[in-house]
Amino acid sequence: MPIEMLAGRQNPDGGWPYVQGRSWTEPTVYAVMAMLAVGEKATAQKGLRWILAGQRKDGGWAPQPGVDESTWVTALVALLPPEHLGYAHDRAIAWLLETKGEETSFTYRLREHLLGNQASLEKQDPGWPWVPGAAAWVGPTAIALLALVKEARRKNNPEVQTRIEAGRRFLLSRMCVDGGWNHGSVRALGYESRPYPETTGMGLVAMRGVKSPKIEQSLSVARGFLNQCHSADALNWLRLGLLAHDQLPAGFCPPAAVEYRTLIETALQVLVSAVEKGNNLFWS
Amino acid sequence: MVPSTVSIVRAPAYDQSIYERVKRMLSAHNLDVRSRRVLLKPNLVEFEPESSINTNPLLVHAVMESFREMGASSVRIAEGPGHRRNTLDLADAAGYFKIIPRFEDEFVDLNLDDVTRVQPTRLYSRLTKIYLPNTALGADLLVSIAKMKTHHWVGATLSMKNLFGVIPSGIYGWPKNVLHWAGMNECIADLHTVFRRQFAIVDGIVGMEGNGPIQGVPKRAGVLVAGGDPVAVDATCCRIMGIDPFKIGYLRLASGELQSHLTERNILQAGEKIADVATDFELPPDFPGLRLEKT
Repeated sequence: MPIEMLAGRQNPDGGWPYVQGRSWTEPTVYAVMAMLAVGEKATAQKGLRWILAGQRKDGGWAPQPGVDESTWVTALVALLPPEHLGYAHDRAIAWLLETKGEETSFTYRLREHLLGNQASLEKQDPGWPWVPGAAAWVGPTAIALLALVKEARRKNNPEVQTRIEAGRRFLLSRMCVDGGWNHGSVRALGYESRPYPETTGMGLVAMRGVKSPKIEQSLSVARGFLNQCHSADALNWLRLGLLAHDQLPAGFCPPAAVEYRTLIETALQVLVSAVEKGNNLFWS
Repeated sequence: MVPSTVSIVRAPAYDQSIYERVKRMLSAHNLDVRSRRVLLKPNLVEFEPESSINTNPLLVHAVMESFREMGASSVRIAEGPGHRRNTLDLADAAGYFKIIPRFEDEFVDLNLDDVTRVQPTRLYSRLTKIYLPNTALGADLLVSIAKMKTHHWVGATLSMKNLFGVIPSGIYGWPKNVLHWAGMNECIADLHTVFRRQFAIVDGIVGMEGNGPIQGVPKRAGVLVAGGDPVAVDATCCRIMGIDPFKIGYLRLASGELQSHLTERNILQAGEKIADVATDFELPPDFPGLRLEKT
C-alpha cells in the first residue's frame, strides 16, 4: 500500500529522500501532506519538525539542508496547513511575495531597452522562478499560486491578491498555442512548442476557478493526455488538474502499467486519492 | 602543445556492429581505467524514441561493455534531464531498460543526487557558486556521450554542452535557467574546467540539423567521434557538420587565448579523415554565419 511504503521510507531525521539517501524538502513536504491527508499524525509531526528546522533567515527554504539558497520549494512548504507551521508560514508567504522572475525586474527591462529591445519596457506579469535571479517558469509559478490562493482564503491581503491575478495572467501568457503548458516556452525561435502532460496538469490546478476558452482548450489537451501517460508524475498532475475543474472522467482508473519511481510520485498518488475522496490539501 | 588525438569511426547504423566499432575507437586512446570508477553521461531530453534527440542506448551499452572489458571497477550511467523531470520514464521510452541489463541498478538520476557546493572557476560566467552531484564529482572518469546536433542558442550541442545534464535540476529547476542567465557559452566553458578527468564520445550515426536540439530534423552523418580532449572532439564534430568551430562561443572560450585546441594542426586525427565523412548540417535559423568555409 502506498502510504505504508511512504511511512516506511521516512529517514531517521524525519525527512524523506526522493528515492533513497538524504532528506530533501520537496519529497518531505509531499510526504507530510500525504500523512496528514490519511491521519498519520505522528509520522507527519516528525516530518514537520524536519521542515521547520530548515527555514532559512530570509524565510525561505532550500531544496536540501546545506544548500545555501532559498528556492521554489518555499512555495511547497507554504502549501502545508498553516496551523502546523505558525509564524514560519507567514515568513514563507512574505518570501513568495518578494520573489519574481528576473525578466520582470526594472533593472533587467531597462538594460534590455538600452540594448535596443523595444518590447522590454512594457510591464510584464511576474511569475516565479525556480531559483531567484532567473526567469519565471510554469512549474514554480503554479505551486506559488496554489499556496497564495490558499493564503487568500485565510487572510484578506491585497498584495497576495495582486500577485495571484498577475500570476494567473503569466500562466495564460505561457500557454501553448493549442492549449496546455510545457515548462513555459511557448515558442522557440519561431517554432511552436508542444505542451507536456505534467505541466499541463500543474497549470490547470493553479488556474482552478478561472473560466475561459483558453482554459477549456487546456482541459481538452489534458483529457487527451490522460490515457497516454508515460509517467506517474504526469498522471498525478493531470488527475489533479482535471479534478480542479471537475473534469476528471467519472470512473477513471489509472493505468496499471505506470511505475511510481520516486517517493514524491507515491505521495502525490496518495494526495490525489484523498482529493477524490474529499480530503483536499491543495485548494481547501 | 601536444596534439590531442580524436578518433573518427564510420558507423552506418545502430546495430550489433557498434560494439566492435566502439572497441576499436577507444583502443586508439590508451585509456587506463583499471580499477577506476567510470561514469557515462548520455543525453536524454524528450519522450520521442523515434527521433534523434536522445543518445541511442545501444551506443551507451557498447561503451559500457568496452570500459568493463578494459578493467574499470565500476561503470555507471547518469543523466539529469533539464526539461522533463521523470528521468527513468524518459530512459524507458528511449529504450534503455530494454537494451541495458539491470539498467535501473546501473543508473543514477543526477537531478536527485546528493550534492556538494563547488567554487566555479568564474573564468567566464557569472556563476558565483554551483552545487554538483556527488556521483559526478566522485567519478574517476566522466564520459560525455552526446548526440551530434545543432542548437538554436549556441550553434551546436556536442560533448561539452552535454555536461549541462550534470547540473542538478533538483537544485536549479526544469529548465536549468540559472545557466542561461549566467551566460550559456560561458557556463559551458566553466563547467568544462570543473571535471578534470573527461572523455568525450559523440553519436553522429544519426544526429540532428536545423532547429536543434529538439525541433530539428534527423541528419545521418554515419560516424562516431571520440577523444580525451572534449574541445578537440567538439571542434572535429563541427568540421564534420560543416560548422566553423572558431565561431562557436563556448569552444573559443574553452580553448584559451591561443585557441590552440581548435586548430586542426593541433589535433591528431585517428581513423577516418574529416573530408571523407563531412556532411553539411542545416544551420539553426539564427546562425547563418556558422558555415565552415571550404578550402
